[in-house]
Amino acid sequence: MTTESRGELFDIGYRRYDGPREGLWRARQTLWTNGIRTALGIGRGMRAKILPLLLLIGVVGPAVITVIIASQSPEAARDALSPPTYYHLVSTFVMIFAAIVAPELICPDRRDRVLHLYLVRPIRPLDYILSRWAAFFAVMLFFVYIGQIIMFAGTLLASGDQWQYIKDYWLDVPKFMVAGLAIAAFYTTLSLAISSFTVRRAYASAFIVGVFIMGAASSGILTGCDESSFDVPEGTPVNCVPITGENGKWFALLDVARAPTHISNMVFDYEDESLTGIYVQDLPSAAPIGWYLLMVVVPGFILVRRYQRISL
Amino acid sequence: MPPLLEAKQLTKRYGDTLALDAVDFEVHEGVTGLLGPNGAGKSTSIKLFLGLLRPTSGSAELSGVRPYESISARARMGYMPEHDCLPTSTTATEFLTHMAQVSGLPAAQARTRAADTLRHVGLHEERYRSIGEYSTGMKQRVKLAQSIVHDPVIVLLDEPTAGLDPAGRDEMLELIQKIGKEFGISVVISTHLIGDVERICDRVILLEGGKVTQQGEVSSYTQETQTLYIEIDGKLDDLLAALAKRKVQATADGGIILIEQATDVDYDAIRDAIVEVDARLRRLAPGCGRLTDMFRSAPK
Repeated sequence: MTTESRGELFDIGYRRYDGPREGLWRARQTLWTNGIRTALGIGRGMRAKILPLLLLIGVVGPAVITVIIASQSPEAARDALSPPTYYHLVSTFVMIFAAIVAPELICPDRRDRVLHLYLVRPIRPLDYILSRWAAFFAVMLFFVYIGQIIMFAGTLLASGDQWQYIKDYWLDVPKFMVAGLAIAAFYTTLSLAISSFTVRRAYASAFIVGVFIMGAASSGILTGCDESSFDVPEGTPVNCVPITGENGKWFALLDVARAPTHISNMVFDYEDESLTGIYVQDLPSAAPIGWYLLMVVVPGFILVRRYQRISL
Repeated sequence: MPPLLEAKQLTKRYGDTLALDAVDFEVHEGVTGLLGPNGAGKSTSIKLFLGLLRPTSGSAELSGVRPYESISARARMGYMPEHDCLPTSTTATEFLTHMAQVSGLPAAQARTRAADTLRHVGLHEERYRSIGEYSTGMKQRVKLAQSIVHDPVIVLLDEPTAGLDPAGRDEMLELIQKIGKEFGISVVISTHLIGDVERICDRVILLEGGKVTQQGEVSSYTQETQTLYIEIDGKLDDLLAALAKRKVQATADGGIILIEQATDVDYDAIRDAIVEVDARLRRLAPGCGRLTDMFRSAPK
């Protein structure tokens, strides 16, 4: 015997929304979260996750090796990789990541014209671009800090006398935080500013890498060592004079990609023994600071202006 | 009932080009057509109401608020552009949830609204497919869905049937009509297609060369006119003579006799005249207005 079903289906039709509307902050937060997800490849295919994973390995790997060394000999670990040299090492990985991923955050929105749909909602162009900037900045900060945190915490635990280690090295923490901020702000702003000039990600990436390579190459050419200036038989770089003369040391600043590492060196009071590092250390302190600020403020201004002037 | 949108002496100038010339119009609840040829000022009007442009003079207001002065007004508006504007690598449900949140809805409510809206536009089954795999008609539905996902009071649709085949156009017009009549969301469609306006709009605003040349209820343009059409088999001249004898002013236009401003007395005279000439009557009917007549009667 079967029982008659008493279920009924109703078309409830369209329902008006009378819930909360959270306005501009919700919009900004949504764009920020979406930017972080895009940068890390969350909610997308495996291909989008490869680069963030490689960078994670790149920034965590050296830190983990340092901790392993520290577990055998804390002093040897510090000689092998100190906080400032760690930033020298990972800056290249961070730069490549920024060049490839930063365009992903803003180019497709303009190429697919999704930006039109954002800007007819209750946000201004400035809110959009600042949310995107903040998202990528947060991702960059994570990658520059994670290795330092692992290194500090790991070496601390590996040291025999934790209290003594903290007393000796606690200043590393605020220093790596300040230097990390400088590195993250630099790569975020410059990469996004360059990306704002094209709707194609590949072009943007190529251009970002091109700016860094051209900077390094022109700096290398203009600050090459004049061998006749060697006054020590072994010819240590310390004593060399650039082929463009004593004032040629200023050309070392043209290596744009190293602008944040000069700041990091200053924060850690670290003597960089590379030729570029030596030349920059010979310049007045205001020079690398001013150059760094120029490299962040000008692209930042360009980025904001380009979005403020956007017409739909 | 106060208007939803109101243009007061709205003027927009781009350099030497006058896109809108001191126009006044109101948009009330229901479906309104913003009709006009390319370059008439339709898109400029929409951008002014969305707050994307500032008027050169005059004002564009949404319920008394100027969107270019207060962007929060945009939370109550929806917009569907004419051109492509969808990301290709995301699913419709993800995209709509995201857009609802950007409009200010909390995450949980945004997800519910996205699912409901996709059901209403007929994409419920396809909601987890990547938008890049959708047909033109489906993409047009996603564009429409994103414009209403946050439940606006009014939605502005720019050429919503552009690029659709006849079947897709019918479906889209039905959907727009449903939004305006059943969902309670007022609709403004900007179009150059008179047929679209005639089919679904309650009111029409005709823009030509940056000026409003006509506006009113669509029904007032499409109602029966006082012109009477008479179609007979042959004997056209005989009937004209018989009508003239009865003092009925008639003219021939091809095989049809037209009588302007026909009265009840004329009907008796027409009957008698047809009997007199022994003509076979094929049609005797009042004329109906068409929206195309708006263009003819619009002041230049």
